[in-house]
Order: sequence, then C-alpha cells, then structure tokens
Amino acid sequence: MEFVASVIAWLADPAHWQGRDGIPIRLLEHVELSAASLLAGAAIALPFGFLVGHSGRGAFLVLSVANVGRALPSLAILGLALPFTIQLFHVLEFWPAFVALTVLAIPPILTNTWAGIRAVERDLVETSRGMGMSATQVLWRVEIPVALPVILGGLRTAAVQVVATATLGAYVAGGGFGRYVIDGIARNQLDRIFAGALLVAALSIATELAFAFLQRRLVSRGLRAAAPRSAPRSAPRPAT
Amino acid sequence: MRLTRMLALGASLLVLASACTTGGGSTPSPSATATAPPSATAPATPTPAPATPTPEPPKPTVRIGSAGFYEAQLVAEIYAQVLEADGFTVERHLGLGTRPIIEEALAGGQVDMLPEYIGSTLEFFNGGKGEASGDSAATAARLQEYYTPKGVTVLLYTPGQDQNGFVVRPETADESGLAKMSDLAAVAGQLVLGAPPECETNPVCLPGLKSVYGIEFKDFKPLSACAADGIIALNEKAIDVYEVCTTQPGIAQFGLVLLADDKHLQPAENIAPVVRDDFLAKVPKPDDFKALLNSVSQRLTTDVLLELGVKVDVDKRDVADVATEWLKAEGVIP
Repeated sequence: MEFVASVIAWLADPAHWQGRDGIPIRLLEHVELSAASLLAGAAIALPFGFLVGHSGRGAFLVLSVANVGRALPSLAILGLALPFTIQLFHVLEFWPAFVALTVLAIPPILTNTWAGIRAVERDLVETSRGMGMSATQVLWRVEIPVALPVILGGLRTAAVQVVATATLGAYVAGGGFGRYVIDGIARNQLDRIFAGALLVAALSIATELAFAFLQRRLVSRGLRAAAPRSAPRSAPRPAT
Repeated sequence: MRLTRMLALGASLLVLASACTTGGGSTPSPSATATAPPSATAPATPTPAPATPTPEPPKPTVRIGSAGFYEAQLVAEIYAQVLEADGFTVERHLGLGTRPIIEEALAGGQVDMLPEYIGSTLEFFNGGKGEASGDSAATAARLQEYYTPKGVTVLLYTPGQDQNGFVVRPETADESGLAKMSDLAAVAGQLVLGAPPECETNPVCLPGLKSVYGIEFKDFKPLSACAADGIIALNEKAIDVYEVCTTQPGIAQFGLVLLADDKHLQPAENIAPVVRDDFLAKVPKPDDFKALLNSVSQRLTTDVLLELGVKVDVDKRDVADVATEWLKAEGVIP
C-alpha cells in the first residue's frame, strides 16, 4: 500500500515535471520516436498493402513478411541495428529504436491494409470498372475508402504496440518514458520504474482513444451504418 | 464417465501439488540440501574395514550467484569449479543482475555465496557515504561490519582489482593533453560522458567527479556498464568519455587512454567471496572451505583478471572453459 503511495508521490513531485528528465520532455521524446516509427512503418506497409490487396498477387509474400516481422523480438533488432546506426549517425539514441519500432509497426499495417482491400465486395469493384474507372481510380476512389475502417484499425494496433515498446530506446541512451524504467532498474528505485510503466500505459491508452476518434471521423457515414452484405471471396480475418 | 473424469482431475491435482513442493527453481528446501550426495572421494568398498572412522558428513550444496557482467561470472565460475573439484555440489545462479538484485538474493538466502567488489559494495550499503577508500584492508574490514548483521562473512580478497575508470579516444587525449582525471576539468564542458544510469546519483561517479575534480560534462548518455556497446559508442564519437572497468579488454584492444585517478576518487575494488554464515555452519570443515577459496583468491591478480578477461570478452570464449583452463594451468584442479 505504501508502494502505491510512493508511486503517486513520485508522479506528484513537481521536480519530476521539470528539466531534462522531467515528464514533459520525456513525453515529447516518446511521442517523437513513436510517431516517426509509425510513419516510417506506414510509408513502407501501406503501398505494399494497397498493391497486393488490389492486384491479389503476392499474398504469400505479404503474410510471410508479416509473420517474420511479428516474430522478431524488438530488443534483438535494437541490438542488431546499433552498430550500423552508430556508424551512420554517430549518435546512440533514437536510431536503433527507430529501426526496431518501424519493423514492429509494419506487420499489423500491412496485414490489415491487404485484408481490408481484399475484403471489399467484388460487386463494388466490378461495378466501378463497369462505370469506366481505371484500376488506379478503383483503388483510390472505391477500395481504399471502403477498406478505411480496417486500414485505420491496423494503424491503431501498430500505434499502440509502438508506443508501448518505445521504452526499449532507453537501453541505448534513448529518451522517452523508458528512461524512467531503465534508470529505475539501475538505481533500484521501484517507484520510478512503476511510474514510468504507468506513464507508458497511459500514453498507450491515449493513443488508442485518439485513433478510435480518428476512425470515427474519417470513415464515411455510409460505411459505418452498413454491414457487409455478401461474403467476400478468400479474404482473411484482419487483425484488430 | 463421471468417475473417470474425477479420477483424471484428482490425478492432475496430485501431479500439480507434487510439482509445486519438489518444484525446481533456485530455492530448494533446506531438507533437500541435507540429502546431497556424499563426497566423491569416499570409496564404496564392500569389504568392511576393521576400525572404520566415522564417515565424513555430506558436503552441502553450494548455491553460487553472480552479477551479470563477464568478470563477475568468471570469478564465480572459478570458485564453483574449485568447490566442485573438492567434492561440493554446486548450483550456479550466474548473471542474476545488478548489485541490488544479487545482494537481495544473498540476504534473502536464495544464494549462499557470491563474488563481490569490496569498494562498490561498501558504498552500496552505506548509501554513498564515501567510506570506501584506496586502502583495501580498511575497506574490506568496514564492509564486514555491514555484512555481519546480515549473517554474511567476507573471505579473503583478491590482490587484483577491477576499478571503475574513465577512458577517452587517443585523439582526444592528444588534442587536450589528457593523462589524468584532473586534466579533464578544463575540457569536460565540451565532452559527452557515457556511463551507466546510476552514475548520475553514484557518489563516486558524477557527483564525485564534480566535487573532487570539478568536472562537469556537456551531456550524459546512460549506457550499460563496462560493455562493448559503450566502446563502440566511444570509437564512433557518439560519446567522448566512457566509464569502464579497468580490466576491460576493450581498453587495450582499441588503444584507449585510461585517465589516471590522481585524486583517488575510485575506491579499492578487490574481489572477495562473501558467504552466508548459515551456509558455513552446514559445511563439515568450514576452515578448509575458507582456506580453499582463499588460496584461489590469492592467485587472482589484476594481470590474471585482465588476461582471462581478454579470453572471455574479446575472444568470446565460454566462461566455464576459460575458468577450467586457468585452474588446470595453475594446478588448482587436476
């Protein structure tokens, strides 16, 4: 019970809200790292997801990449990336974690994008083609908007995972809330460790809520109301 | 049908219950240690000897722990093999973690002994009062005073030491004329320090550097202690000064300049095995036990620590193999 009190005291202490190691700066660093990794992961995964989902070819490749990406422990990727990033950038922090988190972000975005596009009713696609739309137009004007809820779901999953795992960066002089966890372990300050963990959890939840809000705003009203009428062919279950 | 199901449930509960009580892990019940096999040197002869002396009571199982980094594991492994050669059964719990964790394990009785660095451990117990000094004997004696109420005995310490030190790249040393720590004060404001996270609050690290040498760095990057990634970071100019362990092979390997601790901020860091008193009470001949470990400790000079360190940390050889090789070369084990 007094442990809970000490954690609350740690969070309430104004000294922990100021300066280089204060919560605001660590929050900024954490968000920076997470956002950058998510964007990079999306920049890689979305185009591939659109392409493979639209054409229907290369599904096996997509699934393999996604599975391997999921299986690789982020900490291992961090360690592997370090010698390379340090030779490239001559700084310890940010880059190894950025690589590891980008790899982490790719599988959910890739899988969901591909699955979402595949799940668009064939009738809809055929009707669009019949109306004279080119393949690109079908993709941008029909498939993506219809698949948007699922695609956003993938981004949401990736975002939450990235935020939670961004604590890893602190292993190699990185910032973010992970700093509290790692420093707490090194100095045997249990209240610091737990406070850091709580902050990460709070940020993860906030991220989840932000994306939920985004999903509601971006998805067209017509889609939100309708349930899929016909079962799409060979569409896998998207990761939620 | 119901009967079979009940039987199956009962059987699985029984298995579960027995698994829990005889359960593995690092905390065997006291009764388990008492039934350890007798000394390997006792021959099993069928012919009754005329006046059989009382058989030697079984030697208890020793649980040896250690901290994470290679040198701690190496020294623990050396002690482990020496004890095994003497007929003890050894349970290894190497690489448990940092000092708070291993001391907790020792105090709580999860391990019976571990190798410790006398200076850092003393400062760990006294909350950084600065009692550890360059005088090894005094430091060890003061450490024993802290260990006694915990029921732990500090055995003889090694002549070899592995202190914390600070290294810079040779270019940095040339540019700014750095040979000792006092030289750093003038240029530290332009340099970035890499050190473990606890350096910020450890009295012999940042606070001590400031108060004793007047050193304040431009920036501080928290990194793992005495590790390869710190050396990489130093070589790649991500940091300019790195806190090392003075027997770390990377120093010589990359020609790094170790700055002399001219004001003796860093305390003596000889290694001593620290053993729980309740374990010593179980040992049939505790004096022999202590003498055995002391004789090995006496052979661990700084040069030996460095030489073995190279084999483990640079050549990447197995810790147990390196230990065995050295012990055999020294004639300690057959």
